Amino acid sequence: MKDPYETLGVARGAAAEDIRKAYRRLAKKLHPDLNPGNKESEESFKEISGAYGLLSDPDKRRRFDAGEIDASGSERPRQRFYKDFAAEAPAGHAYENHSGFADFAETDDIFAELFRRQARDTRHARGPDLHYRISIEFLDAVNGATKRLTLPDGGALDVTIPSGIQAAKILRLRGKGAPSPGEGEAGDALVEISINPHRFFTRHGDDIHVDVPVTLAEAVLGSSIRVPTPTGAVSLTVPKGSNAGAVLRLKGKGVPRPGGHGDELVKLKVMLPPEPNAELEAFLSSWAPGTSYDPRRDMQP
Amino acid sequence: MIIISTQDFLARTQLDRETLEIWIEAEWLLPGGTATEPAFSEADLARAELIRDLIQDLGVNDEGVGVILNLLDQLHGLRKALADLLQSARQQAAPPIAGSSIGQGKDRE
Repeated sequence: MKDPYETLGVARGAAAEDIRKAYRRLAKKLHPDLNPGNKESEESFKEISGAYGLLSDPDKRRRFDAGEIDASGSERPRQRFYKDFAAEAPAGHAYENHSGFADFAETDDIFAELFRRQARDTRHARGPDLHYRISIEFLDAVNGATKRLTLPDGGALDVTIPSGIQAAKILRLRGKGAPSPGEGEAGDALVEISINPHRFFTRHGDDIHVDVPVTLAEAVLGSSIRVPTPTGAVSLTVPKGSNAGAVLRLKGKGVPRPGGHGDELVKLKVMLPPEPNAELEAFLSSWAPGTSYDPRRDMQP
Repeated sequence: MIIISTQDFLARTQLDRETLEIWIEAEWLLPGGTATEPAFSEADLARAELIRDLIQDLGVNDEGVGVILNLLDQLHGLRKALADLLQSARQQAAPPIAGSSIGQGKDRE
């Protein structure tokens, strides 16, 4: 063990008052309960309190100075401090205090939830969150809707679906979960949204994609056709000579988003008549389109 | 949990009864049990030793003890919340499923 005078940083002949002052100065800095995360300070503190225990007792100090006892003759230093109990204490114990971070729990994200979990004490514990799943139609997801969720206990919950909601999104309904076991506020209802696929619309980001069949004549000669959008059918001009697979954009007919809407992208699908047509066959066999009409030109090996 | 009687508590902390009553009155110590028959825990014991250190060794006055204990309790609350947060963050190191498969397609094939 180190020399106790050296540990406290005092001279051998130091007065008792100076030893006390030196110890107090070091203890303020190193007391383990004032440095709960610092293992080194705990070791240092044990050393200085051992040294002080020896030098603050006039009889022990005299015997140490005379060489009768060595520095290890001091009493056993304390092994456990309050911080050790505070770290192991169960939730809801008497000294629990959340004033240092309760404000972090006021927002709506996952971290706030973790802080809220911490901030619960037994008496004011919040009720648990309840999880639900609801599946909605594609158009309700795009346009928004109010859905009634029937709860297992027979109650009902009206869920407002915001327009443009994404699949797998979870809506948090504040205070609609289970009631608190004590005086706390109720938990939240967490509603996971699943969206049923649509017969012909698909969604890519904020854009709606749809394949629209057109006749050979509409594609070759151009035409005005009615196409469906999530908010109803609109007219679309098919330019003369539109090819199969051509994509026409209907601006602002897509999914609502902050500051506007996405677009609807209409992909033309040229459809031949369902039954063989003698006139068409007769016309095509007499028709000579010219050498430049080779749609597979780019596929030649 | 080990329950310590008032008598044992006084013996182990070397406090006198009057001082203990003042500390409980000031809510520096919050033992379980009833007012007439308090039940102390090991944590109360360690806390009493801390209070004694503060007053006797560190020269903190009575007003200061209350302030320090309040801040220490907040510090331990924060340490716990942080430990919990870190644990959850480590468990969820894999990113959660966000959004959906929709939205990743190309505009045209």
